[in-house]
Amino acid sequence: MKHILIYMAMCLTALYACSGKRTGAGKDIPADTIPMMLTVIKNCSKLYTAEYHIHKIVTHNDTRKLSGTFLQQQFDITLPLGERKIAIPMDATLKAYVDFSDFSEKNIRRKGDKIEIILPDPKVELTSSRINHKEIKKQVPLLRGAFSDAEMASYEQQGRASIIASIPQTGIIDMAQKSAARILIPMIEQMGFKEENITVTFRKKFSLEDIPQILINNGIENGKE
Amino acid sequence: MERNRNRKWKGIQTLFLMKGLMSRVALTAGIITVLAIVFITVWTVRSCSKDRIETVVNDTINITQAHITAMKEIGEWEFLTVTDEEMADTTRRGFFSDDHLIRIYYGRLRLGINMHKVKPHWITATGDSITMHLPDVELLDEDFIDEAKTQSFFESGKWTDADREALYMRAYTSMRKRCLTKENIENARENAEQQFTKMMKALGYKKVGIVFSQDQTNK
Repeated sequence: MKHILIYMAMCLTALYACSGKRTGAGKDIPADTIPMMLTVIKNCSKLYTAEYHIHKIVTHNDTRKLSGTFLQQQFDITLPLGERKIAIPMDATLKAYVDFSDFSEKNIRRKGDKIEIILPDPKVELTSSRINHKEIKKQVPLLRGAFSDAEMASYEQQGRASIIASIPQTGIIDMAQKSAARILIPMIEQMGFKEENITVTFRKKFSLEDIPQILINNGIENGKE
Repeated sequence: MERNRNRKWKGIQTLFLMKGLMSRVALTAGIITVLAIVFITVWTVRSCSKDRIETVVNDTINITQAHITAMKEIGEWEFLTVTDEEMADTTRRGFFSDDHLIRIYYGRLRLGINMHKVKPHWITATGDSITMHLPDVELLDEDFIDEAKTQSFFESGKWTDADREALYMRAYTSMRKRCLTKENIENARENAEQQFTKMMKALGYKKVGIVFSQDQTNK
């Protein structure tokens, strides 16, 4: 009887050891089966003039609730399974640019030795974002399942949307306009114009109401090309 | 004798009448009870048909502040955009079954000229001719993946954050390798030449020369 128990314990240990439990990230056998989906190449002429780095910690805590109505009486009971929590630190880069694709004679006014360059509306793009995987903190009680990859991706997408929504408060458009002038004026100066004779103007003075339009026109934000 | 018989007969008649009355009352009460039960059942069923019971989990993030950690003026003139999607997957062999993780990464590589790298006197203009000495085309930003936009396509088994980091690095390397090609750099260079020529012609110059300095290499 004692021997049978020892054999059973050994078998269980062997099964557990072979059950595919992780032993470290380096021991995975990666298999890149579908490497590419879509590549779009496009010519353009955009002068990026301002760059902002944004840091955000996306937090989420959820409790499982039993909710509904019974005999037309509404109820909402928190189940005693525990509360899951997660904090995802992320960094994003915003860049503002002036699009020169349609730049033509219409954008230039010359009067004698004076020159005025009228630039199109600046636009803002979220050019990159990065999740700090090493700093992610999670708390999952025993009775709850771990955060799935899809759930985490959803929280990260919401964090990204929240960063885009905060663009109007950053002041990046003003900086982009000033920076564009600081790049173009020395360039025109080298063509023989005096600094005091060069004017760089934008189509109009932007207010907070115009900012959503600048973002809506931005392809990367609404998923359009 | 006759009298007694009549009395007995009347008694029987009264008894039958009473019994008939009682049975009618009982029948009426029975019908009312059945109707009440039907009514209560119908009301309960109708009330319960609108009822719902479900387990709910909050799936929205908490409101937290976004902080600006750095801001700077740049001068990156982009001439070619390569938008790429990368499906990266990893597999872990198990005893009973394999675990899989598949994610789709989105990136945008920007090729162009960094205007902060131009040398002094990079423009020489004489009469209606102008020559521009430009730094060579390069990848303007090494961070080109929008990781927060990543979609989780498939997951089986348990995966750690280190696994996701490793997957990101693989997606990054293959995206860079595929998009930063000689052909794309050459395309960006040609477009830069066209765009600057167009711009200078709009400024009134008839002969435009563009020279790229070849001292920079794109790896």
